[in-house]
Amino acid sequence: MELVIENLRKSFEKKEVLRGIHFTFEDGKIYGLLGRNGAGKTTLFNCLSRDIRCDSGEFYLQENGNRKEIEAEELGYVLSTPTVPEFLTGREFVHFFLDINRKNIADLKTEDAYFDLINMEPEDRDKLMKDYSHGMKNKMQMLINIIAQPKILLLDEPLTSLDVVVAEEMKQLLRKLKKGHILIFSTHIMELALDLCDEIVVLSQGTLKKVERGALDEEAFKEKIIEILKEGDHA
Amino acid sequence: MLDSFLISFRLKITYRVNGFLYSLKCVPLVRKLLPDRLYCVRGLKIFAGILAGLWELVSLFLGKILYLWLMILLPAGLYKGDQRQIFLHIFAILSVIGMYANTYMFDPSNDKYYAMFLLRMDARKYTVSNYIYIILRQLAGYLPTLIAAGLQAGLAVWESLLFLPLILGGKLAVAAWDLRHYEKTGDAANENSLSKAEWILMGVLLAAAYGLPALGITLPAGFVWAAAAVVFAAGLAGIKKIRDFRYYREMYQQILAGKRYQMDSVTTTKIVADQDKKYISAEQGITSSKKGFEYFHDLFVKRHRRALWKSTWRMTAFAAAVWAACTALALAFSEVGEGLNRFLMFSLPYFVFILYGINRGSLTTRIMFMNCDHMMLTYPFYRKPENILKLFRIRLRECIRLNLPPALVIGVGIALLLYLTGGTENPANYGILPVSILAMSVFFSVHNLVCYYLLQPYNAALEVKSKISALVSWVTYLICFACMRIHLPTFGFGLLTICFAVLYCIGACALVYKKGAETFRLRN
Repeated sequence: MELVIENLRKSFEKKEVLRGIHFTFEDGKIYGLLGRNGAGKTTLFNCLSRDIRCDSGEFYLQENGNRKEIEAEELGYVLSTPTVPEFLTGREFVHFFLDINRKNIADLKTEDAYFDLINMEPEDRDKLMKDYSHGMKNKMQMLINIIAQPKILLLDEPLTSLDVVVAEEMKQLLRKLKKGHILIFSTHIMELALDLCDEIVVLSQGTLKKVERGALDEEAFKEKIIEILKEGDHA
Repeated sequence: MLDSFLISFRLKITYRVNGFLYSLKCVPLVRKLLPDRLYCVRGLKIFAGILAGLWELVSLFLGKILYLWLMILLPAGLYKGDQRQIFLHIFAILSVIGMYANTYMFDPSNDKYYAMFLLRMDARKYTVSNYIYIILRQLAGYLPTLIAAGLQAGLAVWESLLFLPLILGGKLAVAAWDLRHYEKTGDAANENSLSKAEWILMGVLLAAAYGLPALGITLPAGFVWAAAAVVFAAGLAGIKKIRDFRYYREMYQQILAGKRYQMDSVTTTKIVADQDKKYISAEQGITSSKKGFEYFHDLFVKRHRRALWKSTWRMTAFAAAVWAACTALALAFSEVGEGLNRFLMFSLPYFVFILYGINRGSLTTRIMFMNCDHMMLTYPFYRKPENILKLFRIRLRECIRLNLPPALVIGVGIALLLYLTGGTENPANYGILPVSILAMSVFFSVHNLVCYYLLQPYNAALEVKSKISALVSWVTYLICFACMRIHLPTFGFGLLTICFAVLYCIGACALVYKKGAETFRLRN
């Protein structure tokens, strides 16, 4: 399975943010998406999740040589600021989500089995989510996005403000999840991208470029990435 | 002092110019014609500067004209009796409210924050010089408008001019009093957060201003002029305090404390979100046996029951109390009963405005957004067209239900009152009154929810982004207000209202079914 993006363009007034993106993402990999502030990472994610309309270009799934439109339930989007309905308990949210999506979930588990997946303590499962910590909300958001096993998961800096323990748990979860899925992980932290991701992709000057590591050691690879990111300044 | 004033005046004009250019950039068609480097274009800035200057001049009179016409001349015309006396009565009492609720000095406005805290201007020089300017503006603005309004109400020019010492003297006296109070206690007055006593006083004064003339009671002119003289003397005595007060900067630290946070949009967003979070009930034992979206909505309503239903019951109780008071007055005084009977036969257009005023739709949709849709719209499954429509249907039912109790009390109440005050020749009026009131209530409930779904005004940072949504709110308000000028018999107007409400609800819901999935999303 591949996510193919062809000539994707998006401008805000005269500012051209995405200048014709061509890229193919493959399943079974976590892609680390790096870019300077304002490079257009969130714009790219918003276009892919159809939160905003692109000016031109297209994107689709390619499976066994067949091209198909991406359905809403095939794409999950985890935001950096966790958004969960705080008037529900964690269990009620999972219950509601399972109720709505029952027929789309292949391997339906019990509510508690899902909570176990994200290491949520039993006493926290029946608390209102307004009383959850940032990390717990983040876990819940991630859980809802992975229960239905979307083919594509977009993650917009989801680990930035988590404590080290929760961040490590989330990394493990993402590694488990990558088989059969395309995970695109946007971050500013290069160490995190190098630690977690299988491929590094840089968004610079409105286009996506894959950064090949080749035989470079970590330091040399970092320098190469920074050089590519700086190129945007001289454009 | 003059330098301070000129600097602050230029500052005010500058941000007014930038505000104007920013607003231009938000107009859908115009924004495409404007360059990106808008704030550097000299010609455009001069044009905006001229407009800002003109506005300073126009606003001098516009506010006064609207105030005198909408708050005094228009309501005075509704009463039978000496218009001169009624004008005098209403204006004098409203001026007392203005003395403490419209002070300028204790208004936590942005211009003060910019000047005193961001630009660190001398607080005393800034405040005193601007206060003199405001007093002179009041004088210049009231002079022609008050004479014109007074003449229309039958007052001699000298009588109208006698109001000026009352208005200006009152403001000076109250300002000096509040400054003295701050010196003693350290508590600064703030006209945007009046105390409970001040609100109660305002209620009493408003009731006296508009209620007493209905009973044929007005303040004697002699009393008003005597009060004006006393207040003016107190105002003159207060000038020294305003001029010499030493703690302006310290006092404004307190008055403008909230501005610090409001200027920071991230903090504001958090404050707004936290305020709405307080609506969520942590009560134990709330559950639901429903399924799917019914389950989700049921829990939303149960956990927000207090916020959603409190104002409904308050409105219902208030409507019942007004009805009981009117009925008691009508039964006790036959002339009041006759007046009410006459009023009820032509009063339906007024109820459009009342029903608009009591509808809780905007509060309901706000809570829906802040505590539910704001988060849920980030999930693709929630944005699926069939799910959006499923929830819309459930919410429509809830919004109608939330607004029915006060409408029911008003509708049945006025039919009953009509009967008790002598009845009507056309018995169909007993039916048309409650049904049309209920139709208005349903209309406003549907209208609010449909606007929310079609023009969803917020972005993910909880900022209101849709100008069209604001425009629709204004147009709705103006139409409802204009309805009060319609003079149609109850039966005809009632029938029209019912037909309009039914057709509007069908049309609007059809529009949501067609377009809702596209429009109901977080704005960027």
